[in-house]
Amino acid sequence: MSSVVFDHVSKVFDGTVAVDGLDLTIHDQEFMVLLGPSGCGKTTALRMIAGLETVTSGTLSIGDRVVNDIPASDRDIAMVFQSYALYPHMTVRKNIESPLVAHRGRRVDAAERERRVREAADILGLGDYLERKPGALSGGQRQRVALARAIVRRPEVFLMDEPLSNLDAKLRTQTRTEIVELHRRLGSTFVYVTHDQVEAMTMATRVAVIANGRLQQTGTPDEVYRRPANLFVATFIGSPPMNVIRGVARDNGAGLELAAAAGTLTWSTPVSAVGIGSELVAAIRPEHLHVDPAGTLDFTVRAIEQLGHERHLLGRSGDADVVVRQSSADAPIAIGESLRLRPDPAEVHLFDPATEARVD
Amino acid sequence: MATRPSPGRASGRRARDSLLAASFLAPAFAVFAVFAYYPLYRLVYLSLYRPNRNTFIGGSDEWIGGSNIIDSLTSSTFLRSLAVTAKFAVLTVPMGIILGVLLAVAADRKLRGIRIFQTIFSSTVASSVAVASVVFFTLLQPEAGLWRNVSWLSIKQPGSALVAISTTAVWQNAGLTFVIVLAALQALPSEVREAAELDGYGPVRRFFRITVPLISPALLFLAVVLVIHALQAYAQFEILKPTNDAQPLLYKIADPEGVETISSRAVYSLGLFVVSLIVSIAQFGLLERRVHYGE
Ligand SMILES: Nc1ncnc2c1ncn2[C@@H]1O[C@H](COP(=O)(O)OP(=O)(O)OP(=O)(O)O)[C@@H](O)[C@H]1O
Ligand SMILES: [Mg+2]
Repeated sequence: MSSVVFDHVSKVFDGTVAVDGLDLTIHDQEFMVLLGPSGCGKTTALRMIAGLETVTSGTLSIGDRVVNDIPASDRDIAMVFQSYALYPHMTVRKNIESPLVAHRGRRVDAAERERRVREAADILGLGDYLERKPGALSGGQRQRVALARAIVRRPEVFLMDEPLSNLDAKLRTQTRTEIVELHRRLGSTFVYVTHDQVEAMTMATRVAVIANGRLQQTGTPDEVYRRPANLFVATFIGSPPMNVIRGVARDNGAGLELAAAAGTLTWSTPVSAVGIGSELVAAIRPEHLHVDPAGTLDFTVRAIEQLGHERHLLGRSGDADVVVRQSSADAPIAIGESLRLRPDPAEVHLFDPATEARVD
Repeated sequence: MATRPSPGRASGRRARDSLLAASFLAPAFAVFAVFAYYPLYRLVYLSLYRPNRNTFIGGSDEWIGGSNIIDSLTSSTFLRSLAVTAKFAVLTVPMGIILGVLLAVAADRKLRGIRIFQTIFSSTVASSVAVASVVFFTLLQPEAGLWRNVSWLSIKQPGSALVAISTTAVWQNAGLTFVIVLAALQALPSEVREAAELDGYGPVRRFFRITVPLISPALLFLAVVLVIHALQAYAQFEILKPTNDAQPLLYKIADPEGVETISSRAVYSLGLFVVSLIVSIAQFGLLERRVHYGE
C-alpha cells in the first residue's frame, strides 16, 4: 500500500507532448480517477506508473521510492488493461496465479497459491470457470479474470485503464459497483483511467481532470462538479454540459451584472477581481436556467429532447448555444418559441476569458 | 396448396445441385488429375511394369511386380540415400528454425534502422534454392571458395560434404523462419506482453512461457514445411555436386548421372512419398497437442 507522486512529470513521444509537467499526489488507499477527453494523456500517465513508458522528465515515486529507473517487473503494481490482456493459452487458474509464479521475489508455495487463487476467484465469482481457457469466457468473465489476476498478488497500487469500456451498459454498472467494493475491501491505492464522467463521479474518492496533457483540477467528484477550477472543467463535467455566456461586467445600480448579447446575468457569489468593463465568461448548468416571462435572457427553442423523466430545450441565446433542462411535467413548449430565461444567481460560475481560470 | 415439394422434384433439385457442385470442382480436379493423380498412377505403373521401349515391333510392357519394389526398397542405394535425406533434415530444420527465431526476436523491436536488418534477414526468402546454392558455391568451392580451408565444410570430403551443403539450407530456412516468426511476433497483442512483464516474468521465461505458446502455430507450420523442403531438397546437391555418400534420396530419383533404372527410381519416389506422408502426420500428431490456435 502506497502513495504515487508525480513531480513535474512529462512524457514526450518524438515531438508529441503526451503528459506536460504533471504534478499530482495520489494518496495511500485513495481511489483516484484520471478523467479527460480522448488523447489527453491519461493512459500515458498510467503507463508511466506501471513502468511501461519511461519518464521523459520529472520524478515519479511510488511509496517513498523514486521509480523512474525501476523496470516494470520490479514495481509492486498490478494493471488491468482495457483489452484484459489475458494469456489465451493458459486456463483461468493459470492466468490468475501467473503473478505468483512469474517473479522470484513474489513466489509463494503451492498451498498458499491455491488459497489465494481460490480467494480471488470467490471474490469475483469465477469458481466454476477455473479450468476454462479465456476463449471460452464472455467479455464480462474475462474482465473478472483480469481483476482476479490483479488482486492475487496484493500489490501496492492497482492500475486500471478503462476496464469497463468493452462491457454492455448493464454489466458496466454492475462491475462499477464491484470495483468500488473491491477497493473498500482491499484498502489499496487505485488509479483508474476513464473518459466517462459517470464512472469518475460514481467511483472516485478524488478525480484528476486532465486536458492536453495538463492537469486541470483535482478534487472530490463533488468539488469538481460544484466548483470547477476553469472553463474546461466546467464544460467537461456534467451532462448536458454547462452553458457558456460571454459578456462584459457593468454596474446596474444594485451591483455588478454581466451584459451579454442575449440579455443580462447576475451572480450572488462575491467576486473580488471583477471591475466595471471586465470581460467575463459565465457558465451555468442547464438545470439552473428557468423558463420565466420575467427572465433576463432571450432564448429561442430550436429542438426539444424528451428523455422521459426530463427534457432538454436546445436553442440560442444571442450568439450562444444554450441548453435548458426541465422536468417533463413542465408546461409544454413548441419548437421555434421565443422565451425568457431566468438564471439562478447562486449557480453562476465566472471565468476569465483570457486565462479561462475561475475568477472568484 | 403444394407448399411441400414432391419427392420427385426434390430429387431433381438434388441432381441439379450435384451437377453444379461437380462443375465447380471440375477445374480443381483437372489440375490435380494432370499434376498429381496421373503422375502418381504412372509411378505405381512404372514400379510394376518395365516399359517396352521397342516401339517398332510393339508388344506390351513387362510385369516385374512386387519383387522390383522389394528389391528397390531394400537396396543399399535407397537405404543410404534415405539416411542422407534424414540427416539433412536433422541438420537443417532445427538449426534453421532456431537461428531464424533468434534473429526474429532480435529484430522485433522498435529501433531506428531496424527495418534494414529486417530486410537483410528476410532476403534469403527472395532467393531461390539455386541462387542460394550458387552463392554458397563461392564459399564452398574446393579450389577458390572462401571456406576452402575449413575442413569440416569441405564438399569433396566424405563426412563433411553433407554438413557443407546443409549450410545453404540452414541459411535459407533461417530466412523463411525469420519472416514468418517476425510476422507472428508483431501480430501478438502488445498488452499481453506487457501484462507478462508486469506479472514479473523475466525476458527468458516470458519468451518460453508466453511468446512461444502464442506463436506455436507458426512454429508448427515451419516445422512441417521445412521438413518437407528438406525431404525434397535437390537443387543444392545438383549444383554443389557432393561426394556419393552425401547424395539424398531425391538425387537418386532425379539421377543426373543416369545410373539407376526407371523402375527403381519409380519405387524410390513412392518410398519418398510415403515417408513424407508419415513424417507430416507424425509431426501434426506430436506437435498439434502443444499448439495453441488463438481463441
Ligand atoms: N507510443 C506513442 N507514440 C507516439 N505518440 C503517442 C504514443 N502513445 C500515445 N501517444 C500520443 O500521446 C497522446 C496521449 O495519448 P494517451 O494514449 O495517453 O491518451 P488517452 O488520454 O489515454 O486517450 P484515450 O482516452 O483515447 O485512450 C496522444 O496524442 C497520442 O497520440
Ligand atoms: Mg487511453
